[in-house]
Amino acid sequence: MVKPAKGTTTLAFIFKEGVMVAADSRASMGGYISSQSVKKIIEINPYMLGTMAGGAADCQFWHRNLGTKCRLHELANKRRISVTGASKLLANILYSYRGMGLSVGTMIAGWDETGPGLYYVDNEGGRLKGMRFSVGSGSPYAYGVLDNGYRYDMSVEEAAELARRAIYHATFRDGASGGVASVYYVGPNGWKKLSGDDVGELHYRYYPVMPSTVEQEMVEVTGA
Amino acid sequence: MQIFEYNGSALVAMVGKNCFAIASDRRLGVQLQTIATDFQRISKIHDRLFLGLSGLATDAQTLYQRLVFRHKLYQLREERDMKPETFASLVSAILYEKRFGPYFCQPVIAGLGDEDKPFICTMDSIGAKELAKDFVVAGTASESLYGACESMFKENMEPEELFETVSQALLASVDRDCLSGWGGHVYVV
Repeated sequence: MVKPAKGTTTLAFIFKEGVMVAADSRASMGGYISSQSVKKIIEINPYMLGTMAGGAADCQFWHRNLGTKCRLHELANKRRISVTGASKLLANILYSYRGMGLSVGTMIAGWDETGPGLYYVDNEGGRLKGMRFSVGSGSPYAYGVLDNGYRYDMSVEEAAELARRAIYHATFRDGASGGVASVYYVGPNGWKKLSGDDVGELHYRYYPVMPSTVEQEMVEVTGA
Repeated sequence: MQIFEYNGSALVAMVGKNCFAIASDRRLGVQLQTIATDFQRISKIHDRLFLGLSGLATDAQTLYQRLVFRHKLYQLREERDMKPETFASLVSAILYEKRFGPYFCQPVIAGLGDEDKPFICTMDSIGAKELAKDFVVAGTASESLYGACESMFKENMEPEELFETVSQALLASVDRDCLSGWGGHVYVV
């Protein structure tokens, strides 16, 4: 079975009020669903989040390692590290392990002195600054909804709903994404978890079943 | 990419007291992408005989059309419906005809024979019949289905209880499979 390219859906975007970060919660090993309740949004520190796509162990370890380095920076420099700095630290570490088989496709989202920041960092050592990113096998589907509904001046509720819908649509189409759609908001006072909705329930909320005439009834069949 | 896992499927058939149940999932996908959530995998051959086909969807459709054709011919010649055991042998023979270029399907056959005795069987893609007294499974979720059925099955269940058991076993198993899901179709006869 072909290993899915980072079987997951994560997304993040910057808007007027801050950064919105969302992800699904399914872990798949080939066709088998190993878990429906994986935390893919990792809390690096109270004002920075990282998303997980690729190898779970790799992402968890290196994000925690990044959190340690950020704290050391704070202690050494008596001020918080910027999102630019944190993402550069991670990108340099991953670059030094290039070719050794790490699998990390992460977004570092946070709020620092210059305002909201969002960077995409991956195991090839790539690092990109941007306003909208989606990572994982479900990302094409999420981009479709995200790019269509995105406006810079949205309220927090509108942005959260856009993020939730984008994750939901990705879990609908992508077999390797599912479980719970978590939405986090990063504002000037740090991050806050806004919601965690089961995508099955979201399906019936967005597309409620209309009662229709019964097509086939259960009937008693007499012995032929 | 494995050919049997291209479209994704989950099929299960179970025996009850003078009745049987056959159930399938409803997802049709192309590898990880979901294309449809209302795909029919189980078809009626006649009122007391149902056929479910898991595996590659195109082969399932073609095989189904061939089998319906053969059954209609049989009905015209013999002036009666085929018995489930006979139908199983027919399916097995048709699959073995293509021994060196097989249909990539795993059929599940469920029917009521003489005196309402339930009959279920499955076979591999080249026609090896596997008769069972309790339940048979097929598809990408088959390993989960084996586990679920083994723990939930009881002998001589009435139709209502059989329906519940089959549905729960199917839903629990497809929840652990990326390639099948999106609800189920259950037939209880």
